[in-house]
Amino acid sequence: MESFCTIALAFLLAPLYPGIILKVKALFAGKKGPPLLIKYYTLLKLLHKGSVYSTSTTFVFRLGPLVSCAGAMMILLFFPLGGISPIFSFHGDVIVLFYILGIGRFFTISAALDTASPFEGMGAAREAFFGTLAEASIFAILILFYRMTGALSFSDYFIGAKSISLDGTAGALLLLVIVSLFMVLLTENSRVPVDDPATHLELTMIHEVMILDHSGPDLALIELGSFYKLFFYSAFIFLIVCPFNAAWGLFNLPVFFVGISLVYVAIGLVESGMARFKMNLVPKFVLTSLILVSFAAILTMEFIK
Amino acid sequence: MINMNDIVLVIILLSVLLSLSSNRLMALVKYMAMQGVMVSLLPLLLEQHSRIGSGGLIFFQVMILIKGVLIPGLLYIALKRVVIKREIEPIIGYHASLFAGLIIILVSIFITERLQLSLPQGRELLLTTAITTMSAGFFLMMSRRKAITQVIGYLMLENGIYLVGTALTKHAHTIYIVEFGVLLDVLVGVMIMGIILNNINHTFDDIDTDHLNRLKD
Repeated sequence: MESFCTIALAFLLAPLYPGIILKVKALFAGKKGPPLLIKYYTLLKLLHKGSVYSTSTTFVFRLGPLVSCAGAMMILLFFPLGGISPIFSFHGDVIVLFYILGIGRFFTISAALDTASPFEGMGAAREAFFGTLAEASIFAILILFYRMTGALSFSDYFIGAKSISLDGTAGALLLLVIVSLFMVLLTENSRVPVDDPATHLELTMIHEVMILDHSGPDLALIELGSFYKLFFYSAFIFLIVCPFNAAWGLFNLPVFFVGISLVYVAIGLVESGMARFKMNLVPKFVLTSLILVSFAAILTMEFIK
Repeated sequence: MINMNDIVLVIILLSVLLSLSSNRLMALVKYMAMQGVMVSLLPLLLEQHSRIGSGGLIFFQVMILIKGVLIPGLLYIALKRVVIKREIEPIIGYHASLFAGLIIILVSIFITERLQLSLPQGRELLLTTAITTMSAGFFLMMSRRKAITQVIGYLMLENGIYLVGTALTKHAHTIYIVEFGVLLDVLVGVMIMGIILNNINHTFDDIDTDHLNRLKD
């Protein structure tokens, strides 16, 4: 029951948090900024509209938004949000889930290629390239976690018997993981140093250019999917920084949902303070995160013998 | 509860890695400041059980001041005077440097294992960090063209040497070693000042030749 309530809350609240990023950025720019609920208004507006499909597209184009949103929702079902045991969990679910996110990306890319627009093809190529690099870091993180806990599922990582926490045996190494996971978050969710969600020039877009042809409910699904994905990565980082005790029960929930907004504030701060990289510097950024985790994985040889 | 030693060491390693991959000199100076503070904090955390006299405390505070504020400040001034913002053509590229960092840490873990020193409990990671910092400093000196980056590499090397000292001694008669470290620091400070003057000379020369070229056309 608790798990269902948590998941329902997460699904409801996830569109709230990107509003926080916008608020932080607006505050830094000395503006008032859009209201906190802006993303809900956008979703409602999009859902009221109809979709327009180009005659040159096939069913793949319509499948893209559905699959990417469903994949992002699925990973939340397996994640122990706020230290409350997830609805599903099995040994090895992390690998399945990251590949389900991969399927979502694959369908977004196929939908973009299906439109046969050269801009979208360019965006798809970039997304595939950076996504591949980020996947390497994610799996390096999983290897590290496997060495630390001997488990391969989210619930074992965070609420299992040997859960990971900063004060554990190799806790200091988690600092490297946190930095690198934040870099992966920025890459995977197309935030500023890698990609600019607010850009208006097709040549410089990565993720935004792939969804140019989607409209109405389809676009709403894509947006929703990206909110859930961002929510998942933020929850991942937050649970590493601040592990929860399952024994506290529902008291964890408010702490979790307030605390996670700190991650979003951090994203907002990064976005206000940084300009985005030149395209050729992005791989270096992503590779740095990979090397950080590999550093940590090598260092576990010192801690865990 | 949380093992502060390990956290400080990991932050040092983080700064080593970031400085290998950064092409902005200003960021490099910031990483060096962070590293300096962390390196000089470490003995305080290691010796929390045995007492440090008030003299020792003052000494470490002065060291934080020198390593964390004075030297980065000098570098900052040098960068402000010289117009160079970033290292443009390193001899070894940034991706390759990152990869080299990975190899360096592997090798230094190997060395730590093979040395089989009778280290005090829980200092294996300290020795690994020290060797990594030293070798990364060497690497930075070899693989960059700009004089200021080479000085930063030298500083990193010196931090590593200091860490080796901290790892191997039991702080019974450390005063000499620490003093030696600070002496090296001062030496670096002098070197930096030399580079400031040298670079100013260089820039004036450059400006002159540019003017001459333009006149020729």
